[in-house]
Amino acid sequence: MKTDRSRQTRAIVVALAAGALVLTGCSGSGGDTTDKSAKRKDAARQQEPVKYADEAASTGPAAPVAGAEEGGVITGYMQSDFSHLDPGQIYVSDANQLGNLIHRGLTNFHSDKDGNLSIVGDIATDSGQSSDGGKTWTFKIKKGVKDEDGNVITSKDVRHSIERTYAKFIFDGPNYVQTWLSGDDYRKALPDGPYKGKHLPDSVLETPDDSTVVFHFKQARPDLPQALAMPGYSIVPEKQDTKEKYDKAPAALGPYKISEFKPGKSMTLVRNTNWDPKTDSVRHQYVDGYNFPLTVSIPSQTKRLLADQGEAKNALQFIDMVDTAQMSSVVTDKKAYARTVRGYQPYVWQMCFNLDSSEMKDKKIRDAITYAIPSASMVQADGGKYGGEVAGGLLAPTLPGFDPSYDPFGKVKKPAGDLEKAKQLLKEAGVKEGTKLTYAYSNTPRGQKQMVIVTDVLKKLGFDPQAKEIDRATFYEQIGKLDNPFDLYMTGWGQDWPSPSTVITPVYDGDLVGDGSPNYSHINDETVNKGIDEATALEPEAAAKKWEEIHHRIVEEINPCAPVYYSKTIQLYGSRIGGARYNMEASNIDINDVFIKNP
Amino acid sequence: MLPFLIRRLSGAVVIMFLIGAFTFFLFYSIPQDFAELACGKNCSPQNIAVIRENLGLDQPIAAQFRDFMMGIVAGRDFPQGHCPAPCLGVSFASGDMVWDSIIDRFPLTLSLTLGGLVVFLVVGLGAGLIAAWKRGTAVDKALSGASIVLSSFQIYLLGPIVLGLLVYSTGLMENPKYVSPFDSPGGWFLGMLIPWVVMATIFTAQYTRMSRSTMIEQLQEEHVRTARAKGMSRGYVFFRYAWRGSLIPIVTIIGIDLSSLLSGAVVTEFTFDLAGLGRLAVESSVNKDIPLTMGVMMFGAFFILMLNIIVDLAYAFIDPRVRLS
Repeated sequence: MKTDRSRQTRAIVVALAAGALVLTGCSGSGGDTTDKSAKRKDAARQQEPVKYADEAASTGPAAPVAGAEEGGVITGYMQSDFSHLDPGQIYVSDANQLGNLIHRGLTNFHSDKDGNLSIVGDIATDSGQSSDGGKTWTFKIKKGVKDEDGNVITSKDVRHSIERTYAKFIFDGPNYVQTWLSGDDYRKALPDGPYKGKHLPDSVLETPDDSTVVFHFKQARPDLPQALAMPGYSIVPEKQDTKEKYDKAPAALGPYKISEFKPGKSMTLVRNTNWDPKTDSVRHQYVDGYNFPLTVSIPSQTKRLLADQGEAKNALQFIDMVDTAQMSSVVTDKKAYARTVRGYQPYVWQMCFNLDSSEMKDKKIRDAITYAIPSASMVQADGGKYGGEVAGGLLAPTLPGFDPSYDPFGKVKKPAGDLEKAKQLLKEAGVKEGTKLTYAYSNTPRGQKQMVIVTDVLKKLGFDPQAKEIDRATFYEQIGKLDNPFDLYMTGWGQDWPSPSTVITPVYDGDLVGDGSPNYSHINDETVNKGIDEATALEPEAAAKKWEEIHHRIVEEINPCAPVYYSKTIQLYGSRIGGARYNMEASNIDINDVFIKNP
Repeated sequence: MLPFLIRRLSGAVVIMFLIGAFTFFLFYSIPQDFAELACGKNCSPQNIAVIRENLGLDQPIAAQFRDFMMGIVAGRDFPQGHCPAPCLGVSFASGDMVWDSIIDRFPLTLSLTLGGLVVFLVVGLGAGLIAAWKRGTAVDKALSGASIVLSSFQIYLLGPIVLGLLVYSTGLMENPKYVSPFDSPGGWFLGMLIPWVVMATIFTAQYTRMSRSTMIEQLQEEHVRTARAKGMSRGYVFFRYAWRGSLIPIVTIIGIDLSSLLSGAVVTEFTFDLAGLGRLAVESSVNKDIPLTMGVMMFGAFFILMLNIIVDLAYAFIDPRVRLS
């Protein structure tokens, strides 16, 4: 995923609210000296390859949460509307988190009480059975799975859900499965989706009976169970599909359904009485429902939850993190700090070099800038130690294969940057004093702060930096153009599921270089490309070693993007919320386990 | 009266057309591919082409303008469904009908504006009248002094202070929220009370000063002195003659302030986390959601035009010397 919406904060919202809070003396005291942010050991369990669970582990009901009670309504604070409700359009964190309450897919991630991740069958009886060397995957549908109106879900609904993602009105969701089934130009295989009576051939997607779905791929796709666990591949029952209108009023399969939705203002969820806990090994239905006010700014969320008065006692930050201006108030207040969940997010912020630019061709120049970047200052511009941590490599601590000691440029050892080493490399490269470098940045508050740091360090290295501000709304589209006129830019990328395949493939695979591609550096290295092809065909555990080799080659031998920092989060909840814990896969509070104490 | 109304309403239609045409061509002449703005993660050239087609951006600009104007008069059809007149298009960002979004947000902004207006008129005019009645006394000085102090406050300063005192620290009140007065009059009143009080505190000050000064001015008019000389009581003359005359400049200011309240609703709405038209305008602007921005702008322009006509009509009722010929 490119970046989460919580970090793409609306500048005006923040500016107004933060300004108000500063004026009234509500900002943090700055007295915090102890680092209580998430540590790498917190992410250790996620660094294990995800296990594919069997039928027993996929059978509901889910293991009860200790002390859980039934009843009450939870308020989930949001600062803006949900990006999408139609599963086919869901890709970013806000809708992912909501999707877990109302939607269900073939598979799902399950985090046990110790935080170990596995893939279980959601509406499928297990995480899927592969054959033909991983090219064919078969899923059996559980009995008793219904939508909110009581319609029984069959394999035809699964096929419909996949085929509708080929239609033109679906353009914002993931496209892994479509491209695996029908190639990069997958829409041509079914231009109108399933709406004019056409279907994908049985040689691609087969439903031999009402309870069986078979996927046929041209090459092994060992990650399929993880891809299908994305909320973007949740089920849209054929009978309920209203095409474009579905994005405002989807039919629920999960434990909750939408009872009222006022776009941009609020959403209310109530119990879905047709959800059967016996068919679900992950979710609970402890509370009666959820209220989502969609206009509560991050400073206001933090202020309300810190005060812990009235409705805020039953509230939580649904996807946003604690306001950085009030961070010290949260971490120095023992009672408030006890009401937080903390963890790593999947994003790695990196300085990508445009390898097509003549100024960036020489690896010594790229290495010099990598050494010089003051990563600690860059973190400080994005929430400080609670918002991030200096990165040594390009794989996040949330990924299998993450090596905490990996730091080839000594960024962790020298977080302020190594200017001497950088200048030496530039001397060796014969770079002329005053060479112009164009640094593109997004006009977010974070982007503007980081621009000052980057241009300052480039000046110290003898460059003549040209800072080019880009509208935040199209930043990634502008730097994603192959012939963009920039030399370097900061980008953030996070995994779609806990596998390096969803990071290394989209961002560093030379076969994907093109307009709109997230391969922002335009790296196209034969060894890397070949390694990616090999690793994607391996089972997760076997692939881990291969991904590590590729990662090392990218960072050390090519250096298309300098690692800068890993992102982290800390979220606050009210005193009557029980069962709160951080979900490493969702990178947010685990919405499956929460309940209201003494409802 | 009727010819005046017809003339003003006809003028309003022409002005609205010109505003619509101007804003349309202004926004659509920006060298920006709006399909890119609506494009998510998989922003390939193929996806951008699909979005462009979905949004109708692949049509010539003249055809887009024709469709936009026809939509206002006769409605339009979109993949999301029929958009009845007055159709202002579909949001690029959310896919919602622009008119529906505006109408959904308008009751809150109207509640905020009219509720605040009632509070600051009652308190402000009342305090001004008392100050004028008690001219030169300690009461007059206290009210005049307070109005100067309060007028220097801003909503984004006073709002968080009041929230801190009444909501976060003491829990005496809930966070402001909007519920329809038809569903729960009590909930509506309590939910809006803090924003009203904060808005009123700031606006009251100028009405106190204005009311006081115009009243003092009116009390020195010859017809008022004549009325007193004829033996009418002080109170009768105060309200029957002086107060009525003092309302003309106040009505003018109310017309201007209502426009300010609407356009300034953004500060109030963000301060109190409320979802009204002000927030919608800012969000649409930040998201470069052109149809929504245009829709809010045109709706605001329409509302202000109507307010001006109402203010002009009000002059006639207050002051018979004013003729609407």
